[in-house]
Amino acid sequence: MEKPKMALYWCASCGGCEEAVVDLAEKILDVINLVDIVFWPVAVDFKIDDVEKLPDGSIVASLINGGVRLSEHEHVVKLLRRKSKIVVAYGACSSWGGIPGLANLYDKEEILKYVYGDAPSVDNPGGVRPREKHVEEVELELPSFLPRLLPLDVVIDVDYYIPGCPPTPEVTWKALEILLSGNLPPKGSVLGASDRALCYECPLNNTKPDKILLKDIKRPHQVIVDPEKCLLTQELICLGPVTRGGCGALCIKAAMPCTGCFGSLDEVIDYGGKAVSYFASILDYYTEEDVERILDRLPDPMGVFYRYTLPASRLRGKIKTTMR
Amino acid sequence: MEQPRIGVYICHCGVNIAGTVNVREVVEYAKNLPNVVEAKDYVFMCSAPGQEIIREDIKKCQLNRVVVAACSPTMHEHTFRTVLAEAGLNPYLLEMANIREHCSWVHTDKVAATEKAKKLVEIAVAKASTLEPLEEIEFKVNENLLIVGGGVAGMTAALDSARRGFRVYLVEKKPILGGNTARLGRLAGTDMRGVDVAGSMIEYVKRNGMITTLTNTELVSVDGSVGNFKVTLLKKPTYVNEKCTKCGECVKVCPVEVPNEYEFGLTKRKAIYLPSPASYASTYVIDGENCTKCGECVKICPVNAINLEEESERIEIYVGAVIAACGYDPYEPSVGEYGYGLSNKVITLFQLNRLLDPEGPTNGELKIDGFVPRSIAFIMCVGSLNTTPNSYPYCSRMCCSSTLKDILLLKEKYPNIDVYVIYKDMRTYGRDEQLYLTACEKFVKFARFREAPKVSVTGESLEVTFFEETLGEEISIPVDLVVLAVGMKPPKDVEKIRTILKVGCGPEGFLKEAHLKLRPVEAVTDGVYLAGAVTGPKNVVESITSGSAAASKAVGLLCREKVRIEPTIASIREELCSGCGICVSVCPYGAIIIQIKENTRSAKVEPALCKGCGVCAASCPSGAAQQLKYKDIQLKAQILAATYKR
Repeated sequence: MEKPKMALYWCASCGGCEEAVVDLAEKILDVINLVDIVFWPVAVDFKIDDVEKLPDGSIVASLINGGVRLSEHEHVVKLLRRKSKIVVAYGACSSWGGIPGLANLYDKEEILKYVYGDAPSVDNPGGVRPREKHVEEVELELPSFLPRLLPLDVVIDVDYYIPGCPPTPEVTWKALEILLSGNLPPKGSVLGASDRALCYECPLNNTKPDKILLKDIKRPHQVIVDPEKCLLTQELICLGPVTRGGCGALCIKAAMPCTGCFGSLDEVIDYGGKAVSYFASILDYYTEEDVERILDRLPDPMGVFYRYTLPASRLRGKIKTTMR
Repeated sequence: MEQPRIGVYICHCGVNIAGTVNVREVVEYAKNLPNVVEAKDYVFMCSAPGQEIIREDIKKCQLNRVVVAACSPTMHEHTFRTVLAEAGLNPYLLEMANIREHCSWVHTDKVAATEKAKKLVEIAVAKASTLEPLEEIEFKVNENLLIVGGGVAGMTAALDSARRGFRVYLVEKKPILGGNTARLGRLAGTDMRGVDVAGSMIEYVKRNGMITTLTNTELVSVDGSVGNFKVTLLKKPTYVNEKCTKCGECVKVCPVEVPNEYEFGLTKRKAIYLPSPASYASTYVIDGENCTKCGECVKICPVNAINLEEESERIEIYVGAVIAACGYDPYEPSVGEYGYGLSNKVITLFQLNRLLDPEGPTNGELKIDGFVPRSIAFIMCVGSLNTTPNSYPYCSRMCCSSTLKDILLLKEKYPNIDVYVIYKDMRTYGRDEQLYLTACEKFVKFARFREAPKVSVTGESLEVTFFEETLGEEISIPVDLVVLAVGMKPPKDVEKIRTILKVGCGPEGFLKEAHLKLRPVEAVTDGVYLAGAVTGPKNVVESITSGSAAASKAVGLLCREKVRIEPTIASIREELCSGCGICVSVCPYGAIIIQIKENTRSAKVEPALCKGCGVCAASCPSGAAQQLKYKDIQLKAQILAATYKR
C-alpha cells in the first residue's frame, strides 16, 4: 500500500524548527516508516518542480515553518497549499511571525539600510544592496523582499498549528500522531500542546503566595534565581501565566522565565495585549514616579510582550501597509 | 444555543427621546437587524400599557431575547427584567440601549442623534444575541451590626439599632467612648456641655444589653459582602482592670510624661492616666505606646488592678452591616502658621473650649500664664477655605457658630475683654444667626480679611496685621491672646478604614456617600453605611442626626431575611484555568481562592464575595475568568456591531 505523502518546508526561519524535527531522534525512523516525505529542502533532495508535478491534494500534510518574508516563500506555500489536504503551521514564526516578525516594527527601506549599511558589523563601501535581477553573462534572479513579514495564515489557509520556538520533540510527535491517526480535531486547532497556560504544568506553581504583587521588575542577568521559587514572584517577567503549556516548562526548569513561544490560549484574542494587561495588573505601584521607574526597567516592551506574535497581533507592526 | 428571536422596543419617553430622535426610523432600522423578529415603539415603554406590549409579544412572537431602547438601565432595567420574568423569560435575557442619557439628552442635531440611536440599538441587539439566562443568588442575612467609632454619631446609631432589637458591636479605638464631642465644652444652641451629651449616651449604651462595646479596639479587616461580613478586630490592652478605684497613686509614681491629647496638648499626662475627667471614665488606663513597663505603678497599686503582661486580643465577629462613624480630627496648624507654636498665647478654638470647661485644666478660668487676657483676636477659617497653603478648600461649617458661642460665654464671665473676630466669611447659618446678632450687641468687633492675617510674636506681645476689607486699609491689632478657629479634617486613619471597608472618598479624604440625595449615608459598598463627620464637617446635631439615619438604613437591611445579589459576577472555567493566581492577586474583594486538587491548582469564585467588578476577567491571562453578561465574546459582539458599517 502506498504510504501517505508528507512535505516539510521552511520560510523565514532560523532552522531551529528543522532541527526540532531531527530532534525526534530514533522516532524519525517511525515517521519515515509511516509516510513518504516528498519535499523537505533541508534534508531531502526534491525540487519545487517535483512538487509541481504532484497531483493537487495528493500530499496528506505539509508542515511549514517560518513566516512569509520573500516572494519565494509566498510562491512555495501557495503551491503546497494546492497540493496538500492539510497545511500545518509549524512553530512560532509560521503561526504568528515569531522573532523575525519583530522586523515589522520597521519598513523595508529601514531594514535594508541597516542590514546593508548602518549595522556596526557591515563593511560595504559600495553600498551594494541585493537586487532581484542580475545580468552578467546569464540572467540571475533573487526572490523579492516583501514589505513585511506575514504569518502563514495571512497568505494561505491553514488547518492546524503546532506552537513553539521551536516545538519540542514531544509536542511534534504528539501532533504527528494526531495528524496520522485520521481522527482530526476542528480546523484551526493547536496540535500537540496543552489547553491550559504553562503555570498548570509548572513545577513552581505551588510555590506561589496567595497574592502576587511586584514592587520592581528584574531581568535574568540582574538576579541570582532561586530555582525552587516561582520566577514571577522573584520579579522576573515570566510569561507562563499567559502562554500555552505543553513544553513541560523547559525554560523554568533551567531557571529562565517563560518568554511565551507557545503563544496564547484559545480564549485570548491578542497575546501581547493580554501579557501586558496581566503583568501590569500585578505591579504594586501608585505614583507616577513608580511608573517611570518600572518603565525604565523595561527597555524593550515589544520584544518582551510581543516577542513571537507581533505580525499576528492587533498591532501588526509599526508601519502602515495594506494587509494582503 | 437556541436561535435568538429578539424583540426591540423603542421608547419615546414623551418628548425626551422622540423630540430629538426619529423613533420611527429607528424602529424600521431595528427590523432589519440580525435575529430581530419584532420591533415596536411606544410613548412610554415603562408605563403599564408599554410593559403589556412586551409581555404580549414575548408570547405571541415566541421572543427569547428582548432589547429595550429607552433610558439608563439604572432607571428601568429592573422594571423590564420584571416584565420578562412575568412573561416567563429569564430576566437576564434583557439588554437595554440607553438612547436618552447617552443620546437624545446630550445631542441637538436630530439627524445625527437618530443615527446614533440606531447604532446603540444595533449594538444592544448584537449583545442580546449572545445573552445567556442567569440565576440570582440568595443569601441569608446576619442580623448583627458593627459600628466603627464611639462618638456621638456612632453611639446614636448603636442606640437606635439596639432599641429596635439588633445586636450591635460598638468599636472605639480610644480607651473610652465619647469621641470629640465630649471635649467640646458648652455646645452651641444648648445649655449642655459636650461631655453631658456624650455622658448620657454612654450611660444608655452601658445599660443596653444589646450593645457590646469594645474600646481600645481597632478594625483589622472586613471580608464578605452585604448581609454577611466577617470582621476581625484587635483589642489592645489597657493593662488596668475593673478593680481600679481611681485613687491616683499610680500617676504619682509613673515616670513617663507626654502631652495630654484629651486637653489638646494644653497639659501633660503620665503613661498611666485617666482617659477623661468625666465620671464615666471608670478606670485608669496605660498607654502602651509610651509606657516603659518600669513596674512602679504595679508596685504601688493598692488593689492589684494593674497587669503589665496583658496582651492584645484578636476578636472575630460576624455581622450583616457596618456603619463607619470614625469622626474627624481638628485641623492642627503647623508651627508658625499664624504664630501657632511660637507662643502659648496663640491657641486653637479646641484648646479654648478646654480652658472654658469647668472640668478643664484651669477649671474654667481663662488664664494664660496666670493672667486673664484683656483682648482676644479670633482668626477664622484656619485650615479652611484655602486661607493658607496648608488649608483645605472646604468650609468646616461648625467653627463660626462655635467661635461665637465661646465668645458669648467669655463675655458673660469676663465682660471687659475686648474681642475681635477676624473673618473671611461669617457663616452662622440657620438659627445660629442669632449668635452673630447677640455678639454684635455685645460689641464684639468684626473685621474682614482677604489675605490671611499675619500674627507677629515679639516677646510677650502679639499683633495681628491684615488688610481690612471694609475699611480698605491695612490695620494692626495688638492683643493678649490669639485664638485660631481651626476647622475639621478627615481622621488620621481614614485611609486605613477606607481600604478595609472598600468605600470611596472625596478629594479631601472624607468618606463619600453613594449619592448625596438618592442614597445619603450609604457607602458605595452595599451593606456599609456612613455616619457623622467622617463624610465631611458636621456640627454635633448634624452628626447625631446622620447617626440615626445610618441606623435606620442599616436596620432596614438587617431585618430582611435574605439578600439577593445580581448574578452578573465573575465565573471561572476550570478546564481552562492554570491556577496562575493572577486573579487572586488583583481581586479587591478577596472573592477568589485557589483550590488544589490532585496537586494542581485552579481558581474559584466565591459568589457571596464577588462584586462583579470584572478586574479578574480583564487580567486573566488564560481567558478562563469571564464576567457573566459581560463575557469577552459578548463585548466583542458589541464592538463588532459598533464598528460595522451597514
